[in-house]
Amino acid sequence: MDALLATLVSGLVLGSLYALMSSGLSLVWTTLGVFNFSHGALMMVGAFVAWTISEVLGLGPVVGILSGTLAAGLIGVIIERLLVRPFYNNRNMLLITAMTTLAAMVILERGAQMIWGARLKQLPRLVPGEVQILGTTISAHEALLIVLAPLILVALWRFTVMTNRGRSLRAVGQNQDSAALLGIDVPVAFALAFGISAALAGLTGALLGSIRFITPTMGSEPLTKAMIVVIFGGLGNLGATAGAAYLIGFIEAFLIFGLGLYWTPFVLFLLMILVLLFRPNGVFGGK
Amino acid sequence: MRRLLDITGLRAGYGASRVLNGLSVHIDEGESIGLFGPNGHGKSTLLKTISGLLRPTAGSIAFDGNDITTQRPPAVVAAGLIHAPQGNTLFGNMRIAETLELAAFSKRAKAEATRRIEEVYVLFPRLAERKQQFARTLSGGERQMLSIGCALMCAPRLLMLDEPTLGLSPKLKEELAGAIAKISKTGVPLIVVEQDVEFLLSLTDRLYMIEHGEVVREISSANAPDHEEVMRLYFGAEGAH
Repeated sequence: MDALLATLVSGLVLGSLYALMSSGLSLVWTTLGVFNFSHGALMMVGAFVAWTISEVLGLGPVVGILSGTLAAGLIGVIIERLLVRPFYNNRNMLLITAMTTLAAMVILERGAQMIWGARLKQLPRLVPGEVQILGTTISAHEALLIVLAPLILVALWRFTVMTNRGRSLRAVGQNQDSAALLGIDVPVAFALAFGISAALAGLTGALLGSIRFITPTMGSEPLTKAMIVVIFGGLGNLGATAGAAYLIGFIEAFLIFGLGLYWTPFVLFLLMILVLLFRPNGVFGGK
Repeated sequence: MRRLLDITGLRAGYGASRVLNGLSVHIDEGESIGLFGPNGHGKSTLLKTISGLLRPTAGSIAFDGNDITTQRPPAVVAAGLIHAPQGNTLFGNMRIAETLELAAFSKRAKAEATRRIEEVYVLFPRLAERKQQFARTLSGGERQMLSIGCALMCAPRLLMLDEPTLGLSPKLKEELAGAIAKISKTGVPLIVVEQDVEFLLSLTDRLYMIEHGEVVREISSANAPDHEEVMRLYFGAEGAH
């Protein structure tokens, strides 16, 4: 019983992480129709910047995490401007931007290696101490992640549904010309979507930097998981993406408990292939 | 008379194919105009060029005395020049109410949003009944109403409607024509693209016939052509009996 509850809590932590990562991917997909392969690298940038500000400059983890979030958002806007926007009206936009965002990932990872070196780094926990959830002890920092993730998701959802600025991102994703004729600046909407998504990745990285080690390639595993999540949930619907994130988190936690760390990725990818074969629009995808 | 919109020598097209060949039209203050002529001869292209979706290769567009030839759509909309495009599908996964609220996007439109959304619901009661329905579930006529409703939410100082009754049943066409006439009566000048010349004459002061990207004839309601002449305009002298 205890093991079961511990697995549930561990799934909740993983789910929160994946929800934050995949909601950003989903936002960029619904607005620009682009899959951003540099999303994981942006997460890594958030963690490194947070570490530098907090530990090297000594400004503390809160300022560090905020700086990491902002820095990743800014780099996201730059990536959109330089590597995505030139290909908007290209017929092969999806394929080209897959390559250019992969290039961005390589540049960011190598750049981080040059700037910060290979030595493992870690951020101090935002909140010290431990918390009991369902009889399982986890760090208060992980508990914060569990609480923060749904709050951020709800804020993001409210933004895209309740505010005109947020609605404009959905509008641009569905019909660019019609959006433009209502006075919506399409390139601004694209940059905003990319920036918010990258900032979310940076925030996730900065929060993860106290749980895992900060390395130049720390983003690739969460990106892979986020890809599985968006395939599971279907791209384009924030609610379905978030639901799939927690589902994958729980499945992963139970697979690790039952099968061990080694076989878990195999089973997850097998699940992804099965979903692609039988429910190509996602488990929750309608159309 | 002051010119509200003044277009001279406009050339535009898609890539290598030129659609507008030095077209000139204008609207004076206080009047509405209609555009007609065969399909594929540049009427929709003209509206797209005015609203900034297409960039002209030559010529000039002035709105209310300001040159807007190379302005992008957000600036054109902010100036109050609003274009409801043909067969507009808008945003399928967005509800009617939020689409209308979103349409008041420019700063000027936002200030009037609360009043205007009520006006749109009065003008199109069907939209008021379907506020929470997704746009993709609407019928052709309802989509057209939503499209015009959105254009009204943009706080138009000049409203361009591209075939607003295309493909609708006679009954729906009448309903929409009535709504458009009401909009016109509130003092919003119109540019209406339609195939139905009689309908255009009832709604606007002057008509331009557009062929091969040029104005080939100008008609005012005062010297309106009869049905037979309209036929001749469309099909040439042999086509009319």
